[in-house]
Amino acid sequence: MARRRLIAGIAFAGLGWGLVIAHSQGFSQNTPDSRAETPAAVTANPPDARAETQAAIAKYCATCHSERLKTAGLVLDPTGVARPGDQSEIWEKVLRQLRAGTMPPPGAPRPPQAFYSRATGYLARELEAGAAARPNPGSTPLAHRLTRTEYANVIRDLLALPDLPKEFDYVTLLPADNASSGFDNLADTLFVSPATMERYLAAALKISRVAVGDPDMGALVNTHITPVRQSQEGRNEALPFGTRGGLQIDGYFPLDADYEFKVETAGAGADVHQLEISIDGARKAITNVSRRPGVPSGDDGVVPNNQGTFRFAVPAGSRSVGVTFVERSEALSEAPLRPPGRNRGALPSVVSVTITGPFKPTGLGDTPSRRRLFVCRPTSADQESACADRILTTLLRRAYRRNVTADDLRRARRFYEAGRAERDFDLGIQRALERVLVSPQFLFRIEQEPAGTAPGSVYRVGDFELASRLSFFLWSSIPDDELLDAAGAGTLRQPQVLRRQVTRMLADPRSRSLVTNFAAQWLFLRDVETKEPDVYLFRDFDESVRAAFVRETDLFLDSILRENRSVLELLTADYTFLNETLAKHYGIPQITGSHFRRVTLPKESPRRGLLGQGSILSITSYSTRTSAVLRGKYVLENLLASAPPPPPADVPSLNTERSGKPLSMKEAMQAHRASPGCAGCHAKMDPIGFALENFDALGRWRAEENGRPLEVTSTLPDGTIIDGVEGVRQLVLRDPVLFVEAMTGKLLMYALTRNIQYYDQPTIRVIARESARQNYTFASLVLGVVNSVPFQSRMAQAAPQ
Amino acid sequence: MTFLTRKTLTRRTMLKGMGASVALPLLDSMMPALSAAQRNGAATGSKQAPMRLGFVYAAHGVIHSEWKPRQTGRQYELPPNLQPLEGVRDHFNILTNLSHLEADSKGDGSGDHNRAAGAWLTGVHAYDRTRPGAEIRLATSADQIAAGHLGKDSRVPSIEMTLDPATQGACDSGDCFFVNTVSWRSETSPNMPEIHPRVIFERLFGDGGSADERRARSRKQGSLLDSVLEETRALTATLGRSDTSKVGEYLDSVREVEQRIQHAESSLGESIELPDRPIGIPASFEEYAQLMFDLQLLAFRSDVTRVFSLIMARELSGRSYSQIGVPGNHHLISHHREDAALKSQKARIDTHHMRLLNYFLERMRDTPDGDGSLLDHSAILFGSGMGDGNLHRHNDLPVLLAGKLHGKFQTGYSFDYSRDTPMANLLVTMLDHVGVPIAKLGDSTGQLLLDYERAGAPRAQAL
Repeated sequence: MARRRLIAGIAFAGLGWGLVIAHSQGFSQNTPDSRAETPAAVTANPPDARAETQAAIAKYCATCHSERLKTAGLVLDPTGVARPGDQSEIWEKVLRQLRAGTMPPPGAPRPPQAFYSRATGYLARELEAGAAARPNPGSTPLAHRLTRTEYANVIRDLLALPDLPKEFDYVTLLPADNASSGFDNLADTLFVSPATMERYLAAALKISRVAVGDPDMGALVNTHITPVRQSQEGRNEALPFGTRGGLQIDGYFPLDADYEFKVETAGAGADVHQLEISIDGARKAITNVSRRPGVPSGDDGVVPNNQGTFRFAVPAGSRSVGVTFVERSEALSEAPLRPPGRNRGALPSVVSVTITGPFKPTGLGDTPSRRRLFVCRPTSADQESACADRILTTLLRRAYRRNVTADDLRRARRFYEAGRAERDFDLGIQRALERVLVSPQFLFRIEQEPAGTAPGSVYRVGDFELASRLSFFLWSSIPDDELLDAAGAGTLRQPQVLRRQVTRMLADPRSRSLVTNFAAQWLFLRDVETKEPDVYLFRDFDESVRAAFVRETDLFLDSILRENRSVLELLTADYTFLNETLAKHYGIPQITGSHFRRVTLPKESPRRGLLGQGSILSITSYSTRTSAVLRGKYVLENLLASAPPPPPADVPSLNTERSGKPLSMKEAMQAHRASPGCAGCHAKMDPIGFALENFDALGRWRAEENGRPLEVTSTLPDGTIIDGVEGVRQLVLRDPVLFVEAMTGKLLMYALTRNIQYYDQPTIRVIARESARQNYTFASLVLGVVNSVPFQSRMAQAAPQ
Repeated sequence: MTFLTRKTLTRRTMLKGMGASVALPLLDSMMPALSAAQRNGAATGSKQAPMRLGFVYAAHGVIHSEWKPRQTGRQYELPPNLQPLEGVRDHFNILTNLSHLEADSKGDGSGDHNRAAGAWLTGVHAYDRTRPGAEIRLATSADQIAAGHLGKDSRVPSIEMTLDPATQGACDSGDCFFVNTVSWRSETSPNMPEIHPRVIFERLFGDGGSADERRARSRKQGSLLDSVLEETRALTATLGRSDTSKVGEYLDSVREVEQRIQHAESSLGESIELPDRPIGIPASFEEYAQLMFDLQLLAFRSDVTRVFSLIMARELSGRSYSQIGVPGNHHLISHHREDAALKSQKARIDTHHMRLLNYFLERMRDTPDGDGSLLDHSAILFGSGMGDGNLHRHNDLPVLLAGKLHGKFQTGYSFDYSRDTPMANLLVTMLDHVGVPIAKLGDSTGQLLLDYERAGAPRAQAL
């Protein structure tokens, strides 16, 4: 029911299509007239705007940014104001500084405040018109290797295989990718080496065996280890009521067969505890765990117990395995007295679970993978060849995301025939699948440049290429059959078709990747997994808190997307998602139980929006303390796209002597901030961080530190006073479009899989401004990106030197 | 050439093995001491044990007062950082004052950490790539140049390992991959090091099976790769004049893997026993490091590979060393701002790294290899791309060179070079000694002279 409502919520109305029109003009009408028709950017500049801007640039800027002084390496020629689009790299820089109000620097004479909005309006309009007349979609390598995340999603969708056996889960199956500028999908950083190639070969063999169900695959050994900081005291949220601790495993069982389960426990005392193993919620085995000699095991005879090892049949497919203790009431729990962790006190805990198998397979099973792959079943030998063609053609079209060629089929069939000759039809399909999974056309998204395209010219990508751009943007995966059909029919570019596809794709559960892959990287949320708060200072931190941080933000982002809310609510929403663990951590009463639920927050709650969430607050802290610098930098960089430049190369102000006398750390820091090279940035970063000091390094609320009340009011260089977390929220949303542009820039980077450059700024501004009409919904930003010139086109590459 | 098999019962017998408990047994349960030299003699047609190179990186420089010897020559007093290496002091040299000035900013803004890691084995400046149109361009690193020569006769030309996961989120000047590796196959292709011991194990030793099974698998992989090569060539043709560097990378990789498989197939036959393969990443940093060193030792002994690199601490690593009483963040601690407490913490981290290096060097020394030990036939370079991590300086780097490399080096000395001598000169010398004479590497100005006689005359060094 919930899903139905969410999907309905995404059927937004009245999306603006001005953008499509504006951008498509870039292709067809390179005349100055096209400016006049560009919506949102159309309002003609008042005749005196150019003169006023030019005069002010000459008066206030050109002295320092002169040919002679070249301050910050920038030379401004005021006459360039007439045609800023001709030197957009320079004028985009100027526009940015003027919008942020950072130039001229404090202390220097400044033009009147009203000038700023007129000048920025003028420059923005001119730059956007210039970009519309001469679109520059930038360039990325023609071949884009799948990231590990994408590969996993593709296998999920291509083969209906959501999980792999632990023995070769993706962490060990494929190498990790490099994150650059926060994202791991930037095309030019997706390298291939022989070591990677070996992994692809091994992965293809393993995945094809599991997907088809190879009866000769041999036993896999899947060891699942309980994280050290996972408390075993309460119920594991993923496990049934009436149980305590344990481990929940999403396991993949490749065949109908016997599997062996071996449970390693620790901490058993004289008491007797019951340990059960369940498959998809149904108890399959139970045993007694105790150090007392002579305790009989296996008291209800589900499966005879053998020293913590059980063996029973499991049907093929993805199964949820629960290994947990049956809860007993404790008269007195010592738990609160001990540091949190996997092994504490007299209660036994699950250390690891090893699932080995398959043994004695009884059948291939009716798995989703086989159903997806085998679109026909030959009932006689003379049907086999035609059926193999059907299976392979369906597979190849999905795997290569385009229509299948005779060469594609020929290559795959060779391997089908070898496997068929070696054993049977199924092995033939398995071998062909293995071959497809190492094809460069599978491992890479390849965009072809049409023959005869002049270097530097802008052209639209093909329909199938557009389909892949869409699916990898919205799903981090391959297009589905419907999207391929639209591309194949040549209708995908029709605005109403494209819009319908985007709407459909956003409503599809696969668009979760916009949360788990896009937003998680934009906001650095993956860092939550690697944070190790100091064990002694933060005794309350354990895996349940970590998991709650992740879950809260995940549910929150998902709600913004699914309910088609304004992205401004990322900062201001009057709700969040809590369970008891997290509510206690935040000091919010009356939330009981381990499940997450939506909780309405009062107006004055510091927990409103991302800035009140433990995830963000902990990843911007060190393991022992908060950091005003990190938090300030995070807000500027991720939420306002005005990252302070990194520290100067030689960090002169970290010198710690003055006139030969050593400085104390505090003096050194003061000197550091006072030095001109460092002061400018710290003056912007630190006040934001100071205003967030009410949250400790784990995001808990505190009014004082070390017995002294916290001072959370701070001042920015322009005199803006920031008062606490609410002040930071107001700062970020002072001009909401700046926040929306920051997010749009990240979205565009992720969609285009390349770094954002000055020539992308007009696109970003137009998308953000257009989305204002839709109240800045997530979907309107996504549509803006999809309809933009760089998303739909490429610039032909120059001939190699 | 020897091919390795796992014990047949491995999968069943290792069930209780947690990553952590595997570290020591891995080494102790190694196959009986087959002399690598004897076996290699059969494969290479020579009697001599092969030469091997290792490169171990630790980020963020050192505290010079704790690292640099105060004397040159043989009779130098071991400085505090190096004291864990007392037992192997006759087996390494300390080289002071070498520099990677190409890692300096040179007007290229921030990115000191990127450039430190980038220059370490290349001597080349890693340009800031956030500018429009800037392409990835560094240089083939010394380990890969060596692997191209030494690796010809081993099944895996080189192996790249790291103890630090790749950075997420923010890092130095946009491009994070620079800090995640020190090894570059070509000027556009870094080798991304592997973090997972099991993956390294399987890469080095395969995942088992009988000789017949392996032969069958090799044949299948061979025909798979043949077909992929044909397809990739056809694809490259359709891409025409356009940039095909990524597909080119792929084509080269397929070709190289195919050669490896042919190479392995031609030498199937002899089998030796292997320990159980490790499962997870050990929770303890020490056991993790030892496990990775053990794997490398095993690979040297069985001559599966002759070149490795290991990042013990990558640039910008925030690892906390609470187990030695240094909680907090390695990178932040390295910015000690001359605070005495922080400097002492940084020094303790560095000393700890030497303890781990000592574990490896001792085992190399104690492993017989032909007419000497593994260490006698190897050169292991340890160092950092920064000298003073606090100030991000790339001069006066910590450099430790262990092993005699078949008598090419004498060991046990402390050298002090003139200010800003290029570190690349040492790399050129190492390459020359393993049979790859190259005129220039990065900013090298020639070979580095290790003048044992002159260094033998003790003199005090100004610190």
